[in-house]
Amino acid sequence: MDVNEAQLISRCQQGDQEALKEIFNQYHQKVYRIAYGVVRQREEALDIAQEVFIKLFRSIRQFQGKSRFYTYLYRMTMNTAIDHTRKMKKVPSLSMDAEEGFQLSDDAERRPDRILDHKELEARVKWAMDQLSPDQKAVLIFREVEGLSYQEIAEATGSSIGTVMSRLHYGRKKVQELLKDYLERGR
Amino acid sequence: MKSECSSISGLLEKYFDQEVTPEERSLVEGHVPDCSACRMALDSMQNLRMLIKNPVEEAVGKESFPWVWEKIEKGIQRKERLGLWDFLKSWLDVTPLLKRKILIPAVAAAVILILITAPLLFKKTTSYATLSVVEYVESETHNVMIYELENEKVTVIWLFNGPEEEVSTS
Repeated sequence: MDVNEAQLISRCQQGDQEALKEIFNQYHQKVYRIAYGVVRQREEALDIAQEVFIKLFRSIRQFQGKSRFYTYLYRMTMNTAIDHTRKMKKVPSLSMDAEEGFQLSDDAERRPDRILDHKELEARVKWAMDQLSPDQKAVLIFREVEGLSYQEIAEATGSSIGTVMSRLHYGRKKVQELLKDYLERGR
Repeated sequence: MKSECSSISGLLEKYFDQEVTPEERSLVEGHVPDCSACRMALDSMQNLRMLIKNPVEEAVGKESFPWVWEKIEKGIQRKERLGLWDFLKSWLDVTPLLKRKILIPAVAAAVILILITAPLLFKKTTSYATLSVVEYVESETHNVMIYELENEKVTVIWLFNGPEEEVSTS
């Protein structure tokens, strides 16, 4: 942790909202990326990101600097996102706008059949990811979305590198199996 | 799949994740160009990564975050207010379960207090402290003392015939 970040955290621990804003400016995209990776829906991901920073402000006093700050924040984000999906499973969703997940690159690709393709693909990816255990899902998102190293994932999930590799391996295998048709089409 | 695939396959995922040592890297890179199965395995991992990651990157690119900060600030203020309310609630105990927890002992304590204090409150005692002397007259034959009870508006007249004799009337 660099000196600036340590000072920022210390100020935030004393209740300085400006310090939290600086942390937000530094990390909001990463937090949103992880949240979106889990829920794959814009509004929910934004709600999670918001909740994470509020939670951070209230609980940052508990951060003692034993781990790196970003892994602490990533863990908090992942836990919040997974809790959120658990709650959402209890409430049946009326609509799922999977189209939100894709922005098509050009007008030719905005044809209805292409939109449906993307929409269907994203819905399928979300479904496949939802078949994973929360631990496998967390590891896969940390690696594939955020590009964390095994060591960083181990720190963020509070597990060993061996466990990370195993969860990553079985998680990938399962999703590859579930998305076999799409992955083969992509070749 | 070549015979050496079995030894390489254990490294393939680590190689894809850039977690191999330089020696392992050269081992994999020496094998993969000639092995279609390992190339397919690497392609499959790459495609999966794209499927998971691309929509996320596109969503992040589309988003504008300053308003999110405004919502966070409001959320912190609301939570602070809720925090105070929670504190009050802990005292007032508005949840039904806790209400019972507090009310039952409170009612029991009140009943006991009433039972203890009621006899004292309603006990009929003659208290001379409530008497006040209105008038006192001394003469050679009798001494007369007039008292008045404050609460009951009763006048008591004592006639003293002598040192040992008292006559009272009201």
